[in-house]
Amino acid sequence: MHIPDGYLSPATCGVFGAVMIPIWATASKAVQKTLSVRQVPYLAIGAAFSFVIMMFNVPIPGGSSGHAVGGVLVAILLGPWAACIAITVALVIQALLFGDGGITAIGANCFNMAFVLPFVGYYVYKLISSGSPSGSSRRVIAAGAGAYFGICAAALCAGIEFGIQPLLYHTANGQALYSPYGLKVAIPAMVAVHLLVFGWVEVIVTALVVKYLQKQNSVFFEGGRS
Amino acid sequence: MINASHKRSDFIERSMLSALAFLKEATMSEEYANRKGFLQSLDPRFKTISLLAFLLTAVSLKSAVLIGILYGLCLILALLSSVPVRRFLVRTLLFIPLFSICIVLPTLFSLVTPGEPVWSFQVLGVSGILTRPGVDGAVLFVVRIATSVSLVVLLSLTTRYSELLKVLRVLGIPQIFVLTVSMCYRYLYLFATMVENIFTAVKSRVGVVSRQRQGQSIVTWNIANTWNRTTQMSEEVYMAMLSRGYTGEPRLLSEFNAMPKDWVWLLCALIICAGLFYSGHIL
Repeated sequence: MHIPDGYLSPATCGVFGAVMIPIWATASKAVQKTLSVRQVPYLAIGAAFSFVIMMFNVPIPGGSSGHAVGGVLVAILLGPWAACIAITVALVIQALLFGDGGITAIGANCFNMAFVLPFVGYYVYKLISSGSPSGSSRRVIAAGAGAYFGICAAALCAGIEFGIQPLLYHTANGQALYSPYGLKVAIPAMVAVHLLVFGWVEVIVTALVVKYLQKQNSVFFEGGRS
Repeated sequence: MINASHKRSDFIERSMLSALAFLKEATMSEEYANRKGFLQSLDPRFKTISLLAFLLTAVSLKSAVLIGILYGLCLILALLSSVPVRRFLVRTLLFIPLFSICIVLPTLFSLVTPGEPVWSFQVLGVSGILTRPGVDGAVLFVVRIATSVSLVVLLSLTTRYSELLKVLRVLGIPQIFVLTVSMCYRYLYLFATMVENIFTAVKSRVGVVSRQRQGQSIVTWNIANTWNRTTQMSEEVYMAMLSRGYTGEPRLLSEFNAMPKDWVWLLCALIICAGLFYSGHIL
């Protein structure tokens, strides 16, 4: 899901960077309103948690294992705006310090993983779990469904971003200048692998973690952010 | 059966390896950043701006040859900065560029990219034609990605993380965000060690995990437990910050000191970028 440098044109990167600026500003205001001076340690530790989720490998059917992105889980735990900032921080560290995901593509990566993924997932979760008691299994199902739709929506966005490159940026003889596949290839390739494989890893991790947190700390799901 | 069981236990090894890889990577990068070399001797602000200018040039140019020149420059800079070239090449070429080669392979053929044929072949009765736009596009794509990855890795290998985070301020990133990033980075060490310890404990107590569900349960329970520990910790850290006089207005100390050499280097870097853009325009 992390888009490296060179897959998207500088203009596409610029557009997504510009789109993210008001989102980050709104997220900062929303977080400052609810957390006040508490926000820095809270978000720093939330960001570190969202980074660390990727270190946990989960066994998946077929005998293999994979890791989850955990964006929807972070949104359920922190709220969508705080999750937006926490995931952005994690993505910046990954891009700047570990070369995972491009620096020029940071706007597009944040749009997909720090905005679309947590917001779609969080609102699907809220829609399904609305009115349910804090310890209900409907919340577990809602968390799983939110994770699945969230990651698939983010994959669809990444597919569209890749797919528009050869349409917009090519030479006179048809040579693609950036990501070489059009929408007909890029969207199915990105979405199918998330619908069939990675989406389910996300479902397992998000639903089971919510289930365990219900058992350990059910107060957390009573009112508040979740 | 034994193989299947071992496979199912791979998630423990993989989780431990992920945590260890993070710690190893972070330690190794600090080691290179502390060495004496050309890039290490530059003011981090000037170095970051110059390498980002090279990166922007690499992603904007439309000629593989010109991007190749930037890649050559990147290797020279690695040599001058005491970064072992073999390790640098392994780190920069093995993952993203290799993955990109796999992605771009089908575009070499006329079926995906029609155009002037450059080479045709027949294997097991199946014929294939490589086209000029396909080959040119694939070469440009891979060279650009290899160069971009190399420039970013060069920056992270030759700059201490604390300095790199301070440079974010120079780029106009709000102070509160920079402080959050720097605090997050410190906690990553702690959490990576925590993940490693968790799975070492799981391995020593459980041994081989034979059921997939059991494995999933172990991992997700540990994620939930890590979350509980992080929320506790955020409260404690907040209290500690308050007790040291934190009022919600973070202050970062800036110790950067630009020398004439930094200005000369930045000027050279900008001239190189302008030259490459100009060459790309007239080619």
